[in-house]
Amino acid sequence: MLLEMKDISVNYGKVSAVRNISISVPDGKIVTIIGGNGAGKTTTLRAMSGMVPLAGGEIHFNGKRIDGLLSDKVVAHGIAHVPEGRRIFPDMTVEENLRTGAFLRRDKEAVENDLEGVFTRFPRLKERRRQMAKTMSGGEQQMLAIGRALMSAPKLLLMDEPSMGLAPVIVEEIAVIIEEINAQGLSVVLVEQNAELALELADHAYVLETGNMALEGPANELHDNEHVRAAYLGV
Amino acid sequence: MLDLLAQTGLNAIYAASYISLIAVGLVLIFGVMGVINFAHGELYMAGAYSVVFLYTDWQLPFFIAVAAGLIFVGFLGLAMERALFRPLRDNPLGGLVASIGFLMILQALAVMGFGVRMENIPPVTQYVIEFSDRVRLPLARLYVIIAAVVLLSMLWVFLKKTRFGWALRAAAQDPEAAALQGISINQTARIAMFIGAGLAGIAGALTAPLVSVNPHMGHSVIVTAFIVIIVGGVGSLEGAIVASVAYAFVHTFVTTFFDGVIADITGLSLMLLVLIVKPTGLFGSADRA
Repeated sequence: MLLEMKDISVNYGKVSAVRNISISVPDGKIVTIIGGNGAGKTTTLRAMSGMVPLAGGEIHFNGKRIDGLLSDKVVAHGIAHVPEGRRIFPDMTVEENLRTGAFLRRDKEAVENDLEGVFTRFPRLKERRRQMAKTMSGGEQQMLAIGRALMSAPKLLLMDEPSMGLAPVIVEEIAVIIEEINAQGLSVVLVEQNAELALELADHAYVLETGNMALEGPANELHDNEHVRAAYLGV
Repeated sequence: MLDLLAQTGLNAIYAASYISLIAVGLVLIFGVMGVINFAHGELYMAGAYSVVFLYTDWQLPFFIAVAAGLIFVGFLGLAMERALFRPLRDNPLGGLVASIGFLMILQALAVMGFGVRMENIPPVTQYVIEFSDRVRLPLARLYVIIAAVVLLSMLWVFLKKTRFGWALRAAAQDPEAAALQGISINQTARIAMFIGAGLAGIAGALTAPLVSVNPHMGHSVIVTAFIVIIVGGVGSLEGAIVASVAYAFVHTFVTTFFDGVIADITGLSLMLLVLIVKPTGLFGSADRA
């Protein structure tokens, strides 16, 4: 397993957000976490990258224990997080945003190669490389956020609601990009409200309900599960 | 008349120089750490007392005293970061209150160490550049202008061209997203605090022979600095510099042609006007405030 989350719990003050969640991410796969609003999907993802402290449980990544590390240390292990709402740096140019993603890297040549790689994958970003990030459309900002995460040369990409607020045609584009990135060997954890999209992309899926793990299984099986169909796929 | 205008212009450039050193540091600290440092005027005062101590009392060369002032006040800033602002990171209002407490401590220390009297600092240089009979620029003022131009240019290059400069800008725009890129928020806070405090310190050190140095001298500069950063747009370094220059010109000209009280009123009125017309300040954006 590339990432193993064992029995983790997270509290916000006295309120319990998620309880005893265990998630495994095999190398090279796409794992999705689906669930309704407030189910704890984002919290679980934030726990993986050290953005929230754990109240219990362990996280192992690539054979090393990473729970208790702050997010600026977790990224050094090879986990890149594309946060909810994209969170690009609005008053920096597109290129500066991308290069900030490579903040910890010392291998200058490989960084230049990866920058070209991102520009090849997202030609729009290359056209706008000197433009302030805040002037771009939502879809472009999502691509910038993904590109920035790729610039850290991660082994695992965490994506929080990449489809949120985007037009259907852009969502399709993002889906293709996720598949391409994964085909090149990067593992992905995808948190989505759009369960249809998530189950289509993922190999394995977890369903969270009010902070508890409700179901898990291969994505295609969950896609046919009656409870999932009724609760999340609207059929 | 032309002479008077030229002379007042020179005075304004001098005032703009030290005001912008102070205001830019204040904006940098606010931008990166999200805390309003009320003790900033007292950091300026501490810089001035570095010169009193090392140059007047110990008779070290002036520029060594100035450099020591920058470094000493920079380290004061680091101490504030560690002792006050880091424990209160999630509580900006607490940080503000703590900085007010620290301001009083620094004032009290200055009173205990040096007394409430005005310090008498021997002039660094009597040399005056004479452009004409009535247009003159004392060399000591030119030092302040040069320091402001050089230091603020260096800061600009640091922020735009270096790895840690980018880290600072990223942390100012979105600390959580910056941490996700591997940027340590403690480290960016330390850098911002050292630079911001150090700039106030050098402003105080360089102007010490030119102004009245006393334990309460920080009060008037902090008011000016707040006006300037509100007009410039809270969080905008460019705005702070532009507004420093604008404020210094307005204030100096009104002081010369009317008097100081009317100049203060004019400065505050301009701030209100800017707030009414563009509440985010000249260079501010709503999402950053």
